[in-house]
Amino acid sequence: MDAHREDGLIDSPNFIQNDDELLNRTLAVLPWDRFSNWIHCACVVTFDLELGQAMELIYPGHVKLTDKEKMNICYLSFPDSNSGCMGDTQFHFRIRQCPGRKSLMRAHSQYNRDAPIALQCDDAHYFGFVYFRQTKDRSIRRGYFQKSVVLVTKLPFVALFNQIISIIAPEYFDNGEPSLEAACHDIDQWPIPVPGDTLNLPIMGTVLQVRVPSRSDKLIGPAQTRSEHGHTVPAHTILPSLHEVDIYSAFLTILPHVQLLWELVLIGEPIVVMASSPTVTCHTVQALVNMIAPLKFCSDFRPYFTIHDSEFKEYTTKTQAPPPVILGVTNPFFAKTLQHWPHIIRIGEMGSIGSSPKLANKVKKAAALKTLDSNPGVYTRYKSFLTKDKAILKRLMKGAQLKRPVEAQNAILRRYLLEVTQSFMIPLERYMASLMPLQRNISPHKGPPKLRPFESEKFLETVEHSGPQLTCGIKGDWESLYKRFFRSPNFEGWYYQRQREVNQKLQLLHLEALSNANLSEWIVDKEEVEIVDLILKIKEKLTFASHHHGIVAKDSVSRLQKQLEDIVSTLPDDLQSVIKT
Amino acid sequence: MALRDVKVCLLGESGVGKSSIVMRFVSDKFKQALESTIGASFMTKTIFVDGSTYKFQIWDTAGQEKYRALAPMYYRGSAAAIIVYDVTRETSFQAVKSWVHELHRHGPAKIVIAIAGNKCDLEDLREVREKDAQDYARDIGAIFCETSAMTAVNVAELFDAIARLLPPEELGGGVGQTGGSTIHLKGNQGRKSKKCCGGSADGDASSQTGNRRSGAASRASANASVSYPS
Repeated sequence: MDAHREDGLIDSPNFIQNDDELLNRTLAVLPWDRFSNWIHCACVVTFDLELGQAMELIYPGHVKLTDKEKMNICYLSFPDSNSGCMGDTQFHFRIRQCPGRKSLMRAHSQYNRDAPIALQCDDAHYFGFVYFRQTKDRSIRRGYFQKSVVLVTKLPFVALFNQIISIIAPEYFDNGEPSLEAACHDIDQWPIPVPGDTLNLPIMGTVLQVRVPSRSDKLIGPAQTRSEHGHTVPAHTILPSLHEVDIYSAFLTILPHVQLLWELVLIGEPIVVMASSPTVTCHTVQALVNMIAPLKFCSDFRPYFTIHDSEFKEYTTKTQAPPPVILGVTNPFFAKTLQHWPHIIRIGEMGSIGSSPKLANKVKKAAALKTLDSNPGVYTRYKSFLTKDKAILKRLMKGAQLKRPVEAQNAILRRYLLEVTQSFMIPLERYMASLMPLQRNISPHKGPPKLRPFESEKFLETVEHSGPQLTCGIKGDWESLYKRFFRSPNFEGWYYQRQREVNQKLQLLHLEALSNANLSEWIVDKEEVEIVDLILKIKEKLTFASHHHGIVAKDSVSRLQKQLEDIVSTLPDDLQSVIKT
Repeated sequence: MALRDVKVCLLGESGVGKSSIVMRFVSDKFKQALESTIGASFMTKTIFVDGSTYKFQIWDTAGQEKYRALAPMYYRGSAAAIIVYDVTRETSFQAVKSWVHELHRHGPAKIVIAIAGNKCDLEDLREVREKDAQDYARDIGAIFCETSAMTAVNVAELFDAIARLLPPEELGGGVGQTGGSTIHLKGNQGRKSKKCCGGSADGDASSQTGNRRSGAASRASANASVSYPS
């Protein structure tokens, strides 16, 4: 459809740079293809006096959600407790995707290949971005209009979708379904999210300019843009980040504990965030998860979690230790249900930003928390492994006194955490590199060498003389922190990712070696069995290459193909025909 | 060279050819039966006029009544609006007037309005006299031309004319600019002549092509021109 749109389509750099690709991308585009690159569906959830929360509309109509997914979306799209969310409230949630769906779409797997690990598209979860409106309305039986517009997506672009929903929902409340239709149609014209590209995203009469982060981005220093025209125009809104939240504001009332929280998140401890509004919980949970960037937070996290959630029992059971997840809750009921949780963060309203924050300086014993009326603070028995870095706190306090803009405060805190995380990871990366087999051990006549096993004891021996204390200056028991980290899903996720990368690299080097070896000479004095063995090995490599065509050099593949043909041709005719089938 | 982003929206009744005009302008193509637009379509096109570069961000709105209430989103922040009618349908011309009303009441203060009488190749079916539309356009200070997305008459000229009529770009966020609501015209000749693209100093090769293409469609060819507000 809409062939006429293809030519003058949104001019993102990638569209201009590669005409062939443009052709490939646009030839097979069906209605809603581009839409689903970004969003699974838009929903309208209403409050029905008989049914409670009910799904009023799913757009586009052909999108399937299971009953369980619908139920979760319905409950999570409304404030959980009657906390008087009058007016408009914005927040987001995360739910499990029901199993049995087809796996990631092509655009998402391509995105995942080059996206930062922490921003990869998750196959098993959906995010929901909610805009809830509650107003007095005498024409309705109980006198209130209560409705939510929700965007359901797999992409963790928190900042972008919060912005988008804040544009779409008010229009929907004013003008009804046609505006939702128009918005979804706009999204159906968006270019594919390609890491590294700067995109122009038209939405309801405005254009948002965003840059999709890439794994190859430099983490420290100004963000790069590929867009040449850096001018700002009224018709554009430039979104500084697709995914970042303001962690400074999120932690404002508990700022002295930031470093402790970083440890808790890093080692994957169960944390519950309690606040009176879902806007606050989701902001705080997202900030926690963001704290250990560029490391990916590998456990489950729920920016907003209710007693109706399908995982409620699983996560709150007292028969097992609390799961290593981060939950954001608003219902006072949780104060009791989650009393046994080891780490509880209580956040006051974020409205007080700007005025000097009252800081909850002391860490409180978890048992001290009885109800949700308790004061803001961090309730835990946990003793930090590292000594508190007072310099960063002083710097932020000073900034607050000087009325430094929140954006700048956020940037300072973000950078600080990034440096601490990187200091923590560098020794691990270094040790991992030392596990690589030597280049000279890669032989075309043997299998590809494997990564040597990770031995935590060996690693810990290196910490004393070349640990993180050298790069970030924070003293403390780094060794014990590493030990705890090794038991966490975050370590597992990181290690698995590295292992995959290294093994792929080794496969590649091995393929290279095989393609360069003088195989015709080698087979001269070999038995037929050995030659067939070699042929199978080459075929295996060619299959690998066809699955990774992006990273395998084309000439290595053609050299290998040639080798294969040459070797096959030396075999007797009957065997040749067997091998070719 | 300065690059200027220009948000433009197309308004008008359903079926008058808004999407066809945009398609002709952006990709120089024509399709006999385009499906009707949902909400709005967005496209961009960059042109060079009088040594400046203009990047048009075109919001091609849906003409169907059910989308009528969404229009403010598209003309909000627009530098120009093109109101399209179909010369073979009188009712579509009447609709132009209500759009002009709405823009005057709720649109941006300095919005440049252009009125385009599309399908001017269908001379035999004409219901709206060119002069009537032109007089109306002059009264309200709008750019006017008759266009044919099918034969390409006056489509590029229409956007050229808009580029020429844009008020000078405000610098430094638009604060403290010497203002006033006067519209600065770059082509002085355009002011005097109603047919600036036809024969005046602004008449360039492209408008000549426009004339040639409309060929047999007698009256249309004679008047294939864009008139600037006087």
